[in-house]
Amino acid sequence: MIKYILKRLANYVVMLFVAVSMTYFLASAFMNPRSNYMSRHPAPPEASINRSLDNANINDQTPVILRYLRWLKGVVTKWDWGLAPDQSPVGSAVATRISASVQLVTIGTILSIVIGVAIGVYTAIRQYKWQDRTLNAIATFFLVVPTAVLGLFVVFGAIWLNNATGTRLFYVTGLHSYGGSNPWGYVVDFLQHIILPTIVLTIPGVVGYHLTQRTYLLDTMNADYVRTARAKGLTLNQAIRKHALRTSLIPTCVNVAFSIAGVFTGAVITETVFAINGLGRYFVTTINNNDINGAVCIAAFGGACTLGGALLADIASAWLDPRIRLG
Amino acid sequence: MMFRKTGKDSGESSPRFRTIHATDGQSGNPVDRDAADGETVLQVRDLRVNFASEAGTVHAVRGVSFDLRRGQTLGIVGESGSGKSVTSMSIMGLLDSNAHVTGSIRFHGEELLSKTDAEMSRIRGDGIAMVFQDPLSALTPVFSIGEQMKEALVVHNPKMTADEVRRRSIELLALVGIPNAEERLKSYPHEFSGGMRQRVVIAMAIANNPDVIIADEPTTALDVTIQAQVLEVLQKAQEETGAALIFITHDLGVIAGNADDIIVMYAGAPVETAPVDNIFYEPVMPYTMGLLGACPRPDTGREDRLVPIPGSPTNLVDLPAGCPFSPRCPLAVDECRMSEPELEAVPGRPGQRAACHRTEYILDRKLTYRDVFHVGKAVPSILDDVPYDERRTVLDVHDLKKTFPLTGGGFLRRRIGTVHAVDDVSLEVREGETMALVGESGSGKSTTLLEIMDLKQPEGGTVELFGTPVVKGMPRAERRELHGLVQYVFQDPMSSLDPRLPVYDILAEPLKVARLSKEDINDRIGELMRLVELNPDQVDRFPTQFSGGQRQRIAIARALAVNPKLILLDEPVSALDVSIQAGVINLLEDLQNKLGVAYLLVAHNLSVIRHISTHVAVMYLGHIVESGETETVFRHPLHPYTQALLSAVPVPDPKVERSRHRIVLQGDLPSPVEEIPGCPFASRCPLRLTLPEDKRRLCDTVPPKLGHHDGWRQQVACHFVEESAVRYRAGIVQRSPVTARTEE
Repeated sequence: MIKYILKRLANYVVMLFVAVSMTYFLASAFMNPRSNYMSRHPAPPEASINRSLDNANINDQTPVILRYLRWLKGVVTKWDWGLAPDQSPVGSAVATRISASVQLVTIGTILSIVIGVAIGVYTAIRQYKWQDRTLNAIATFFLVVPTAVLGLFVVFGAIWLNNATGTRLFYVTGLHSYGGSNPWGYVVDFLQHIILPTIVLTIPGVVGYHLTQRTYLLDTMNADYVRTARAKGLTLNQAIRKHALRTSLIPTCVNVAFSIAGVFTGAVITETVFAINGLGRYFVTTINNNDINGAVCIAAFGGACTLGGALLADIASAWLDPRIRLG
Repeated sequence: MMFRKTGKDSGESSPRFRTIHATDGQSGNPVDRDAADGETVLQVRDLRVNFASEAGTVHAVRGVSFDLRRGQTLGIVGESGSGKSVTSMSIMGLLDSNAHVTGSIRFHGEELLSKTDAEMSRIRGDGIAMVFQDPLSALTPVFSIGEQMKEALVVHNPKMTADEVRRRSIELLALVGIPNAEERLKSYPHEFSGGMRQRVVIAMAIANNPDVIIADEPTTALDVTIQAQVLEVLQKAQEETGAALIFITHDLGVIAGNADDIIVMYAGAPVETAPVDNIFYEPVMPYTMGLLGACPRPDTGREDRLVPIPGSPTNLVDLPAGCPFSPRCPLAVDECRMSEPELEAVPGRPGQRAACHRTEYILDRKLTYRDVFHVGKAVPSILDDVPYDERRTVLDVHDLKKTFPLTGGGFLRRRIGTVHAVDDVSLEVREGETMALVGESGSGKSTTLLEIMDLKQPEGGTVELFGTPVVKGMPRAERRELHGLVQYVFQDPMSSLDPRLPVYDILAEPLKVARLSKEDINDRIGELMRLVELNPDQVDRFPTQFSGGQRQRIAIARALAVNPKLILLDEPVSALDVSIQAGVINLLEDLQNKLGVAYLLVAHNLSVIRHISTHVAVMYLGHIVESGETETVFRHPLHPYTQALLSAVPVPDPKVERSRHRIVLQGDLPSPVEEIPGCPFASRCPLRLTLPEDKRRLCDTVPPKLGHHDGWRQQVACHFVEESAVRYRAGIVQRSPVTARTEE
């Protein structure tokens, strides 16, 4: 098992290296940081532009292979991911945004999984009963509502509540605004900020897990081995809980593990609505600003998350399903 | 140590084969035996089950009544859709919630139908237990055998300690013949073979000493030698618990030896119930007779034609007024079409009841199935006058080899082993003859067929069709011509015909490829439909509008369209009901006689093979172990594997079944990945065990070659043909009834 994981990790390092290098060349080919300077009024002198670009190692007049090697050396030896065109270091910018993203998405993801799977199981057992039909209708409704619209509704609702109660129950922008030193006050402040974006992130997540888990469980619920379990003397609910549920959780587990990367970089709309400086918005900004090093750094982080998720998915399914052997 | 002792009992170190006796070999009359038992454990009265469906209400069960006493074995026989499984599921209370059940089911006097799921769950697995059809899917894949056994025990005995549970589990697994029971508790279902899994299911069913065991087609999904093992275990389980057994099956042979009484069901209703001997020897209801006549027997050959029941099974949504069997019954009169007959006692036959208006007529004239159903004469073969040696060879396979690489996971997919699916197989098929490949699953019979079908140069050996060797770089025209001469019929007529093409287009397709003109195609299609005994006016219908048997006829017509000389048939009748199967078998025979076409047929059912084939090749682990004329091989099997295979085939005849001795092969087929230096059968061979050490070594180290042996007409791959023949003749290996009867 350990040997398998180490082997896998070694494989992943190679894959990640190839993928990130490709991204570097692609980004260098398509992005033109020089234009950032050329469009200024008045345009700075050419020599000064070159100096700035050279300093950030993104000068298109330097052969790309040289830039690549220099960049690689920085990453490998000093864990230095380079500079943005405005000379700010990319690494620390990404680090703070990872922290913001983790704060933003962790609660939402956990809630999505727990609530979504629970509703999926609940509705599968009551297939075609009114509970199932009602929850399915609600799920379908939220499935077609775009996140931006949902976000705005939540914001309006929160503002209305704030106005109605006359106190500031919810904050609609940012993650923190508390300046004091009381840790309790910090937590309350954070919760007041996080609750609205969490709602917006959780609802689509719940809908997804609800619908897929319902399908998976319905598939296994009618399996012969559930019938065998009932024939042994388990009631229908016991048989489903014990025999059908575990097998139906295997694909969900794989989904969860693979979704980790998407969760970090995919919350762009929520971040925009609530003015949170997370990774999703940063990714879009780097591309707009011709920030080669920034974009590559995010791609590397996303790749690492995906591969980590894949490994987790493998381990989880091997743990849940004895038919899968690692190694 | 406990497990050593039990391990010994379960055959670990006992001889690898045993001959077993059916339980009531001595007492000829099962009725007497019943009277001795007595206590009624289960009483079913007027059970009716309806399902709501989109097409209308499905009347799945229409009035089933029976009593079950301790120790009694009740067989419920019927074809698909006869309501036999629904009956058993309603006793267990496991029907879907859309089922509407009326009537009464009393277990020890307690009404079961009014119980809730929670109340039923206390009886299920404790008082009434069930064994299901498909052992491969009956166990939860993610729990170990030990956990699943434990669940069966603990759910009814919550006070049992972990140690007691463990001891009882080991005891039960040893009882059903699982070697190394203690270690196997930790194994998962996928680490067991199908037969072993069915043993586990049986062990779970008898865990709490139930009063009633319901076995729903428990051996249908298993190979014939494994079937023999499981039947033995089931019987042992019944003896051990003293339970009543309800044995549900479509195969008359399987229950002939075990059952005391039989209920024959048709269209949801019992049409005849009687002690087993009456059903088999003196059936009254024409459907029962038809079922017996349609059932191919392993002890009657090609010359005895089967009796197909005309028509197809009744639709359970719109039942006809009157007797549901009347549309198919040759004896039906107006009365039969007006009112449905009640199940009434047959005069002069204690215990026998039949639902038929014509009972008296049948009894008066002592009619048998031969009188009731029209037994057609076989068409004389156009090749009858041609001596065998002068017939053209259509297929000549020499030393065919096919291997599959076994690759590891991971990025590089390294090769970690080789599966020898087909190893040195040689066959010769001449025009107008039927060569059958027979063997258990994993024997390589289907792979052999597929290799020939491919029309590509094989991996090893040669394939010659009509004298033309199939080689790489064969001209396209030549290959196309061969394709026209070789055609195929597959197992499942549901999936082998395109559901979106009308029958006309299905039949026209091969003709268009052969570039026939439109008029010729029209004429040919009419001709083909008549040839397979279908109405030519129905060519504009879609395959789904035909029944299974009719669809297989369409598949045969499609194969015949281009006048092939060889048809490859892959299990052509195994997906069909018995009454339909007989018609298709007869049709295949007639077509061969009329057209002189040769068949290469793959089947696992030995009875079907005896009826349909002229030559047979028995395969084991990719090798042919014995081949020759079907009659010769069935009468004088020489290879120990053939002998075991034939002795395991159930015969639809209670007297034969009760007195027979089966060679029960121990163990399962070895894994095909294993490198076997000697004879592939050595690990399970009963003959090898009787040989002295030095001769055994020969079996273990030198693979025997298929060849002729002095004084025998068939070819055998065995080092000790003489010893095997002597043992067989001397009856050390009990002769199977299959061969004994035909020698008379």
